[in-house]
Amino acid sequence: MAGSNEVNINESKRVVPLNTWVLISNFKLAYNLLRRSDGTFNRDLAEYLDRKVPANTIPADGVLSFDHVDRATGLLNRVYLRTTEGQLAWGFEELEKPLSTTEAVPVIVFFHGGSFTHSSANSAIYDTLCRRLVKTCGAAVVSVNYRRSPEHRYPCAYEDGWTALKWVKSRTWLRSGTPNDSKVHVYLAGDSSGGNICHHVAVRAAEAGVEVLGNILLQPMFGGQERTESEKRLDGKYFVTIRDRDWYWRAYLPEGEDRDHPACNPFGPRGCSLEGLIRFPKSLVVVPGLDLVQDWQLAYVEGLRKSGHDVKLLYLKEATIGFYFLPNNDHFYILMEEIKCFVNPNLNCQKR
Amino acid sequence: MGPGKPPPPPRTELDGFLAGAGYKVRSSDLHHVAQRLERLESAMVSSPSHVVSHLTSDTVHYNPADLVSWVDSLLSELTHSYHHPNNSSAPTSSTSSSSHSLPVDLDDLFAIPSAANNWLQPEMPLSQPPQLTVFTTMEEDSGIRLVHALMTCAELVQRGDLHLAGTLVDEMTALLTRINTGCGIGKVAGYFIDALSRRVSGAGSAPASPHETEILYHHFYEASPYLKFAHFTANQAILEAFEGHDCVHVIDFSLMHGLQWPALIQALALRPGGPPILRLTGIGPPSPDGRDTLREIGHRLAELARSVNVRFAFRGVAVSGLEDVKPWMLQVSPNEAVAVNSIMQMHKLLGPDPSPIEPVLSWIRGLNPRIVTLVEQEVNHNQTGFLDRFTEALYYYSTVFDSLEAACPVQPDKALADMYLQREICNIVCCEGAARIERHETLAQWRDRLNRSGFRPLPLGSNAFKQASMLLTLFSAEGYSVEENEGCLTLGWHSRPLIAASAWQASPLSAAIADGDN
Repeated sequence: MAGSNEVNINESKRVVPLNTWVLISNFKLAYNLLRRSDGTFNRDLAEYLDRKVPANTIPADGVLSFDHVDRATGLLNRVYLRTTEGQLAWGFEELEKPLSTTEAVPVIVFFHGGSFTHSSANSAIYDTLCRRLVKTCGAAVVSVNYRRSPEHRYPCAYEDGWTALKWVKSRTWLRSGTPNDSKVHVYLAGDSSGGNICHHVAVRAAEAGVEVLGNILLQPMFGGQERTESEKRLDGKYFVTIRDRDWYWRAYLPEGEDRDHPACNPFGPRGCSLEGLIRFPKSLVVVPGLDLVQDWQLAYVEGLRKSGHDVKLLYLKEATIGFYFLPNNDHFYILMEEIKCFVNPNLNCQKR
Repeated sequence: MGPGKPPPPPRTELDGFLAGAGYKVRSSDLHHVAQRLERLESAMVSSPSHVVSHLTSDTVHYNPADLVSWVDSLLSELTHSYHHPNNSSAPTSSTSSSSHSLPVDLDDLFAIPSAANNWLQPEMPLSQPPQLTVFTTMEEDSGIRLVHALMTCAELVQRGDLHLAGTLVDEMTALLTRINTGCGIGKVAGYFIDALSRRVSGAGSAPASPHETEILYHHFYEASPYLKFAHFTANQAILEAFEGHDCVHVIDFSLMHGLQWPALIQALALRPGGPPILRLTGIGPPSPDGRDTLREIGHRLAELARSVNVRFAFRGVAVSGLEDVKPWMLQVSPNEAVAVNSIMQMHKLLGPDPSPIEPVLSWIRGLNPRIVTLVEQEVNHNQTGFLDRFTEALYYYSTVFDSLEAACPVQPDKALADMYLQREICNIVCCEGAARIERHETLAQWRDRLNRSGFRPLPLGSNAFKQASMLLTLFSAEGYSVEENEGCLTLGWHSRPLIAASAWQASPLSAAIADGDN
C-alpha cells in the first residue's frame, strides 16, 4: 500500500546518513529484481550488478591481499595481511615465515553476508570491510568465497566454512606467537548469513577438537517458523521484509524444510543444546536495534548463555542492517573497537 | 548543520564511501539517486507483475557503477513498459546504447560450417577435476625458492649487474631440473628464466615471422576462451552500434585468419529488417612469399557472406605496423557507419617517443566511427622499471598459464598456445625501446587515454555479460569469470581479470575539450 510504503521510506531515511540510505536501498532494489517468485535466482544479472575488486599484493593503506584457490574444490579464499612500514610488495619469501615470532596475531576467518545468496569474497563492500578489519585489529583476515544458494543449498556453505577453517589452521605462515607457543590464532567472523555460518562451523570445530578462539556474529541470520514481535513490528520498515527473509531461507534450506530446521533455528524445537561442548568458543554477537530478526538473534544469545557459554551482546539500538559498510556513523566505530578488543585479549580495553 | 560538524564535500566530488563500495556517485547527485530509488520502490510495489518481470528478465542493464544512469534508465524502462505492455523495450536516448537484446540465438553465431576455417571448438571434457596450481598457492619449497631467485635476478638486471644475474640464471636452470616443468610454477618459471637468460646474454628475442605469429594466434584462439571472448563481445557491441544503418564498414586492425568475422556476418544476415551492405577492411602484415594472404582470407569471408545473402566487399591493407596506416588507405565513405576493431593491437603503439599512439587515435577519431571496440590484456606491462614489469608479468602469466591448464586443451593447440604466450613474455622481459611491442596497459589507463583523446565510453550491457558467461560454460573449464567494470567487461581466471573489452565512440568536439579534465 503506497501510504505505508512512504512512511517506511521516511523512517529509514531518518536514521541513516544519505549515502548509506542510497547504498542499502540500491541493494534492496537490485535484490528485488534478482529474486524470482518461483524460488529461482537471476545469477547472471546478480554477478553483473555486483561491484567486485581484484586482490592486490601491492599494499594499499597498509593492507595487501591475494587470492588462494583450493586445488581440489575450486574454493577461493582471499587473504588480507597487514604490511609493515616501507614494505613495497609482498614476496613469496613471506610464505616461509610466521606472522610473528614474538606476539599472537589474530587470524579472522570471515564469512561475507548476503543471506546465503548474494555477494562474494571479492565484492567491493566486503573487500573494503575486511581491509578495515586488518587495519583496526592488526589481524590477518581470510575471506571465504563459500558456495551460495539456491544453486548450492545447506550444508554447502557450512562445508566450505569447515574446509576453509582447516586450511587456515594448517598454514605455517598464519601462525604467530613465541616459538614454543606458535599456532594459528583463529577467530570466526561473519555478517548476516556469514554469522550463521560462524556458529555452525564453530560447533563442528568444537566437536572435532579444533580450537577456535572466538566467534564474532554481526547481525547474524537466524529465524524460525514463529513470527516474532520484532519481525511484525519492523517488517518493511528498515530495508528488510519478512517476505524476503522467507525467500532466502527457502532458497538455502533443503527443499520442503521449514524454518525450524536447526540450520536456521539452532536453539529452536529441533535444535540441540550446546551444554557440555566445552571447546565452543566465546562469542560476540552484534544486534542492530532496527533489524527485524533481532528477536531471533537475541534468542540465540540466550541459547548460548543457557548452555553455559561465554557470550557478549552488543546491542546497537539505532543501527539498521548494513551499518558497518560505511564508516559514517558511531555504530561502526563502536563495532570496530569491540572487535579489536575481542580478538586482542591482551589489549587493555575499556569495559563498556 | 551544527557546530563541529565537518564541512560537506565539494559538490562535484564523488562520494568517497560509496566509491569504496564500487559506486561512482557525486555527492551532489545523492538526493537525485535517493529520489529515484524511492520512486522505483513505489512503482514496483504498485506495478503489475509483468512489468516487474520485464525489468528483471528483458531489460538490458548498463554500467551499474554509475548509479545515476542506472536508476534513471530503470525508471524509464518501468514507465515505458507500464504504458506499453506489448512492447518489450523502451526507446532510448541518443546518448546511451540501445536496450534491445541481441535477437540472435547463441547457436547461430557459432554454427557456421567452414572446412577451411574450422574454428568451431569441439566440446571440452569437463569431467576431470581441474589441476589448479594457482601461483599464489605455491608452498612447495622449490617453487618458492625459484620465485625468490627470479625476483632477485630481475633486481640484479635492473641494477645493471648482468654478470651476477647470469650466475643466478645458471643456478635457476639447475633448480629447474629438480621440479616438474610440464606444468605449474615450473613451466612458467622456465619461460621467465629463458627470457632473463636471453636478456643477460644479449641474445634478445628473435622476432616471429607474420606467418608464425598467425599460426600461434590461431592455436591460442583454440586453446583458451580469451580470444573468443574478445571477438564475441566486440561483435555484440558492433552489431548494436550498426542498428539502423544500411551501409557499414568494419576496420579490423589485425585480420589474422579473420576468425572474428563469420559470426558477425551471420548475425547481420539474421538481423530484423535484413542485412546491411558490409565492407570489411582487414589490416595485416605483407606476405613475404608473393602470396596475398589478406586477399585469400577476404575471399573466404566473401564466400561465406554470399552464402547467407549479405552484400560484402573486402579490402586488404598490408602494412608492417599500425603506425604505417594512413586514413586514405581505408577509403571510408561519408554515408557508412564505421566500426574500428582492435584486438590486442593498440598496446603496440605505446613505444618510446615519438609514440605513434596519439596520431593513430587522432585519425581514428577523424573517421567519426560509430564504435571503436578495444580489447587488451588487463595488466600494466609498460612500466619503465624493469623489476616492476617483471614482477607484474610473472603474476600475470602464471595466472594465464594456470587457466590454460585447467581448460585442458588438446595438442597441438596447447603447446602452440604456450609458445604464443612465451613470445609475449620474452618481448616484455628481453626487449627495450622500439623492439618492445608488448606494452600492455590496464583498462584504467586506456580509459584515461581514450577520454583524453576525444572518445567517450559506450557501455557494454548485461546482455553481453550474460552471453559471455554462456560462452564460457560452453567452451571452458570452471574458474573463468566474466566481470562488469564500469561499462566494460573483463574475462579472468578466478577473480583476477586478465583481458578487458570496452567500446567507444567519438565525443562531440566541444565536449572533448570540456571533458579533458574529468
